[in-house]
Amino acid sequence: MGMMRRYFLIAACGLGGIVCTHVASADDEADARSERWAELQRAIFPGRTISEGAGVIQLDAPPRALDAALVPFTITLPSDKQIKSVVLVIDNNPGPLAGRFTFGAAADPRSLQVRMRVNSYTNVHAVAEDSAGKLYAVQKFVKASGGCSAPAGSNDEESTRNLGQMKLKLVSEFAPGEPVQAQLMIRHPNFNGMQMDQLTRLYTPPHFIRTIDITYDDQPVLRIESDISLSTDPVIAFGFKPSTQGKLRVEVTDSKEQSFVREFAMPAAAVSSTL
Amino acid sequence: MAAAMRRLPLVLLVVVSAAASSDGVKEPEGFWSGPMNSTVPATIAGGKVIQAKELARLLKQGKPLVIDVSNESKRPPGMAPDAPWMPLPQEVIPGSVWLPGAGMADIAPETDVLFRKLLSQTTGDDHEHAVVIYCHERCWLSWNAAKRAIGYGYRQVHWFPEGVEGWRAAGNTTAIAKPWTPEAR
Repeated sequence: MGMMRRYFLIAACGLGGIVCTHVASADDEADARSERWAELQRAIFPGRTISEGAGVIQLDAPPRALDAALVPFTITLPSDKQIKSVVLVIDNNPGPLAGRFTFGAAADPRSLQVRMRVNSYTNVHAVAEDSAGKLYAVQKFVKASGGCSAPAGSNDEESTRNLGQMKLKLVSEFAPGEPVQAQLMIRHPNFNGMQMDQLTRLYTPPHFIRTIDITYDDQPVLRIESDISLSTDPVIAFGFKPSTQGKLRVEVTDSKEQSFVREFAMPAAAVSSTL
Repeated sequence: MAAAMRRLPLVLLVVVSAAASSDGVKEPEGFWSGPMNSTVPATIAGGKVIQAKELARLLKQGKPLVIDVSNESKRPPGMAPDAPWMPLPQEVIPGSVWLPGAGMADIAPETDVLFRKLLSQTTGDDHEHAVVIYCHERCWLSWNAAKRAIGYGYRQVHWFPEGVEGWRAAGNTTAIAKPWTPEAR
């Protein structure tokens, strides 16, 4: 089914809530997926051209996720191209723009890992923007569904009590001037408004992380803009380049305008603020 | 004979899965306010439970009013203003009207008005007109909405608990719908 025809059908269906037959063959599904991506490109990158991203950016995800509320995505930037930001799009999520990751002067952008909610079988796109403003996209198909309505793992009271607590772990050796990999864990339920409290049977009101700003001695490392696709108690693996012994600072703000700040003195093998 | 033999396992399968899916769940007295995506009962007092095949027949024979009462996913407050909110289009049984909200235990007064209006406009106030109500598999919204329509006085209410998934699994097509509004009719 061509794009125009699909739009025509949707428009015709708009009136009165009826009626146009849509046979879901495999071809149609592939068409529908590429139309969806075209629509998303217009919404998220209006007027921009997106080139094939193989060789510039790599996206890894399990083809079939074990837990749709915790689907791990790894973004690798293998080339020497100067990439200033990456956008992760989960096409079929109701809020498809899952995250925007902007690298700063003290970043080591080669590897980034996050865990996201996936609502239905979907294409996932990672779009890199280089310093010249050119966009490159790669795509993965992920089989997972129900991640948006899956209840949070830990109970709500506990995740609220520990709200904003953080833990930081270095995953590689710290040496000034050398890139180092770190893993950041943040306690936040990241309620998206579609989850039901298992005790009260009521929908838990949305309460989710909007931004995560990571700096090293005031030098920007990574800024993450996210919303309801980010998993409960997010875990983010990222790299940074410390020039000297110093402080890694993390500031998190959420949809209730709450903000949480933690500082981690470096070097340290495993540092945590009460978790 | 051969055809009948071939059909037998299928019939058995349907019976077994229908029995397994109700899992001894009893009809509540009022509307169901528990988890909406959970095991539903096998019956609805005052209405008729139908399966995909009967629904297809009903659609061919007459002009039943078919209503999808799946909820609409709403943009959560607090998202960045430029973050897109683009839920996938609502896929329905062809010929259906989509009325989100009509299956909640506590129905919004305006949804109640809309639901009554949809029923009376489409049926011409004929309480004997066939009405079919569904949402998804394991979805209480359609049970609640069917109970509600029965309460309004409709006497030919058909509840289709297999939902759009069951319709598709039976090899049928779907269509895309927007929420129903009375102005458009």
